[in-house]
Amino acid sequence: MSATFQSAFASGLFGTTPAPVGLAAWNTATPERRYGVYRNNVTASLTTALASRFPAAENIVGPDFFRAMARAFVAAHPPRSPVLLAYGDEFPDFVAAFAPARDLVYLPDVMRLEIARGQAYHAADIPPLDPTVLAAIDPARLGALVFTPHPTLSILSSPYPMVTIWAMNAGERPLVPIDDWRDEHALVARPHLAVEVTPLSPGGAVFFRRLTTGATLATAAESAMSEHSGFDLSDNLAVLLRSGAFTAINQDDSDENPNHA
Amino acid sequence: MFASALPRRAGAGFKPEHFADILAEPQPVGFFEFHAENYMGAGGPPHAQLGRLREDYALSVHGVGLSIGSMQPLDRDHLARLRVLCDRYQPESFSEHLAWSTHDSVFLNDLLPLPYTEATLARVVEHVDQVQTVLGRQMLLENPATYLLFAESTIEETVFLAEIVQRTGCGLLLDVNNVFVAATNHNLDPHDYIARFPLAAVREIHLSGHSESVDDVGAPLLIDSHDTPVKDPVWALYQTVLDRIGPVASLIEWDNDVPAWPVLRAEAISAQKLLDAATRRRAA
Amino acid sequence: MKTTIATLALAGSLASALAAIATPATADDSKEKCYGIAMKGQNDCAAGTGTTCAGTSKIDYQQNVFKLVPKGTCVSMKTPTGHGMLEPGMAPA
Repeated sequence: MSATFQSAFASGLFGTTPAPVGLAAWNTATPERRYGVYRNNVTASLTTALASRFPAAENIVGPDFFRAMARAFVAAHPPRSPVLLAYGDEFPDFVAAFAPARDLVYLPDVMRLEIARGQAYHAADIPPLDPTVLAAIDPARLGALVFTPHPTLSILSSPYPMVTIWAMNAGERPLVPIDDWRDEHALVARPHLAVEVTPLSPGGAVFFRRLTTGATLATAAESAMSEHSGFDLSDNLAVLLRSGAFTAINQDDSDENPNHA
Repeated sequence: MFASALPRRAGAGFKPEHFADILAEPQPVGFFEFHAENYMGAGGPPHAQLGRLREDYALSVHGVGLSIGSMQPLDRDHLARLRVLCDRYQPESFSEHLAWSTHDSVFLNDLLPLPYTEATLARVVEHVDQVQTVLGRQMLLENPATYLLFAESTIEETVFLAEIVQRTGCGLLLDVNNVFVAATNHNLDPHDYIARFPLAAVREIHLSGHSESVDDVGAPLLIDSHDTPVKDPVWALYQTVLDRIGPVASLIEWDNDVPAWPVLRAEAISAQKLLDAATRRRAA
Repeated sequence: MKTTIATLALAGSLASALAAIATPATADDSKEKCYGIAMKGQNDCAAGTGTTCAGTSKIDYQQNVFKLVPKGTCVSMKTPTGHGMLEPGMAPA
């Protein structure tokens, strides 16, 4: 098999063109249906892989629509690695631009939450920060602490009730009408073996996003307060300690520098 | 080089949904086999489960994405990931397929067929050598379930496999269901295929179910779908192999429409009974 | 940004947070004990198991997605624009 022939065999798998020349069967010179078995295997196995990664999205649109949408995605974005654990990272962006799904404005954000959960599921196992470590810090130095994010951590924000919709379609909550249609934010992490989705307030999302990008505790708290007056620091510190979102703390000695951002 | 060394017993393909049932009591299986690519994340429950299984059972790592039959070079990153996995779990066996699945950088997620020519033989031999060198162990190569043939093929599949064994020292994974599926699809006698197969190199057997379709002109076309119990003609073919070579590690594969654990376990017990009978005949 | 948040406020908030987490969390620890196994009916596994060494017997018919409409839970989900999400032109032809 020349590389050229392998190329022709491969490129036909995503299309509807006739089977490549050079194939054979005991009873026909044009084994279209036989080649079609491979064609079907490729698309069906990849759409099945996507369905297993986005079960809530599949529930939201129904299996027929999901498969058709996944099929379009597979043809446009075939996997580039034999490790399919991360296949479909671009699927939410694809769906956001996918005309037949355009009325489901919240769907891409629900899918991003599913991606964050999948990443957390497979990320490295590191013990989360022990709360007693924080309790032992000199109060005068608390403001200058910086936190190392847990490898499983994601912070997500959506203008839609992303967490509620995800939970209702992932079997976590009963499916009921959503009366309070508003923005939602979430912290996703897996401190031990179970992936946890913790809802955040809008200020909480700012707070954690600043912490994960290296801001000190004082800076992150001030950002959250200035953007959202209702931000409750003690509630969010409790989330910080309970969620296992971070693995370690360090002192940022440059914090007293007025030029430090 | 570490030689493949699975116990000569029945095994089962590991599915995470069976984990709790498997741990609940000692299971009548000698080993579990898992797909390498599904355990290439850094951590989490998949590795917690494998680590726990490793305590009680022999393990077989079965790769499905290395694309050994590719005309392009093997993916070195992927080989490195396989090495990490084998170092981590020290499995009794590593196996892959006589097939290709990657072209350019696109992974097609299916085991695609290969024409059997001197050129493809040289390429596969080179790749098997490379795998065995990187992993520091003997690998097993599995015969494929195929749906079509190639006009350019000049070598019989059994001869092709025998040549690879002779030139690389690899072992073979004889998938008996694949033999039945491919023989039916190409209007050949599966028992004749077994008679020509280099059985002395077989270190593991695969058993699984298939489904029935028809080809372009209405002839039977079997699909290697792993979604049913092992069918009677495949059990019969398996018995023929055991008669020839005695007991050998034998895996039940069930990958689609996966049933509850007791169903898969019952299949493994059926295989074990045939293995036990083969052992008794050897002793007699 | 020059930090202005009072050390006292930070310390007080941390003390309340530590007190809050000292009470047993409602999180279900049993999940952890069973290696992350999902409870029945929950899509908690998130494994994304996707590789295959098998073919499929199910034919994946190509459908015109522009003629398909979402028919899952989105149909009954209440949004600010009412139930369902379909525009007139989106109905099956």
